[in-house]
Amino acid sequence: MSRTTPSIVARRRDRVGTRYARRLRQTGQLPAVIYGHGAAPLAVSVDQKQLLTVLRQGTHVVKLDIEGEGGETCLVKDLQFGYLGDNLIHVDFTRVNLEERVTVHVHLDFVNTPASLGAGSLLTHDHSELTVTCRVDSIPDTIRVDLSKMQGNHLNAGEIELPPGMELAMDPGTCVASVTRIRTEATGEAATVVAETTPEPAVIRERKEGKD
Amino acid sequence: MPRMPKRIKFRKQMRGTLRGNATRGNYVSFGDYGLQALEPHWLTARQIEAGRIAAQHFLRRQGKVYIRVFPDKPVSKKPLETRMGKGKADTEYWAARIKPGTMLFEIAGVDETVAKQALARVAQKMPVRCRFVGRRLSV
Repeated sequence: MSRTTPSIVARRRDRVGTRYARRLRQTGQLPAVIYGHGAAPLAVSVDQKQLLTVLRQGTHVVKLDIEGEGGETCLVKDLQFGYLGDNLIHVDFTRVNLEERVTVHVHLDFVNTPASLGAGSLLTHDHSELTVTCRVDSIPDTIRVDLSKMQGNHLNAGEIELPPGMELAMDPGTCVASVTRIRTEATGEAATVVAETTPEPAVIRERKEGKD
Repeated sequence: MPRMPKRIKFRKQMRGTLRGNATRGNYVSFGDYGLQALEPHWLTARQIEAGRIAAQHFLRRQGKVYIRVFPDKPVSKKPLETRMGKGKADTEYWAARIKPGTMLFEIAGVDETVAKQALARVAQKMPVRCRFVGRRLSV
């Protein structure tokens, strides 16, 4: 975490449910819930624009100033989106201490190009984020990955240099970026022959005729 | 070659209804940019193939195209000049059920401008209104 924890003003929600949540969204507020640390869950609402600004910077930890109840340091645990995936409809916050260790997803920032990338080959980013375990006060916004140091055609999660105090919380053999050769398609007569000989799908279980 | 299942449990299916919005497969998962359907429809295997060809011809050998839908629904059609009855007809084509929000295609390995141009060509081949989207916010 390269800067101070951003503060967001939150209001306690007395009325919960679909109808009240929808009304809140129409006024530019976003329904949210705070839970964790053995305390009772608390339904709150936050300003949508303010939260989105913070989240777009890659921030994971925010300080919620709840009106009449003081401040709480929270980790953004989950985001819920509408069916088109562009409108945020709900946020989950979990209470954290700055000293405790948490498992979070951190975005990868790919820089440079691998040496094995040439004509007829393609660089694909198979994973755009890494699951790591670290202290709350040291969660980075992004992890920088220098692809020029990539050995061979694949970069695994275990090969990425992590900041001190941070541990990988996913399979180290997971491919994060890879260089693949682009296949040429069968065209002309070859493609036509394949299309003509397309087999019918095989039926796994046919009904027995005259069973009764 | 149009896509179809390799193995099926039953040769024919009832038509069913397309209700609601997509709750799965509605965000960019594999590539960097995607084409999202905004209307419900049955997308035929030929239309999916036409979209794939349009994208790959435009991209030449630059990027990678992911097809996020699969035509697993057999659609039957009675031959012309046939009287009604005599049972359900043979399968005419295979279709994918598309709900609003379904991600149809994704592209990786190219910049936004090229991806937008490629997916605009794909959208021309689609029977539904579509829109260009990027990866969504995540924590």
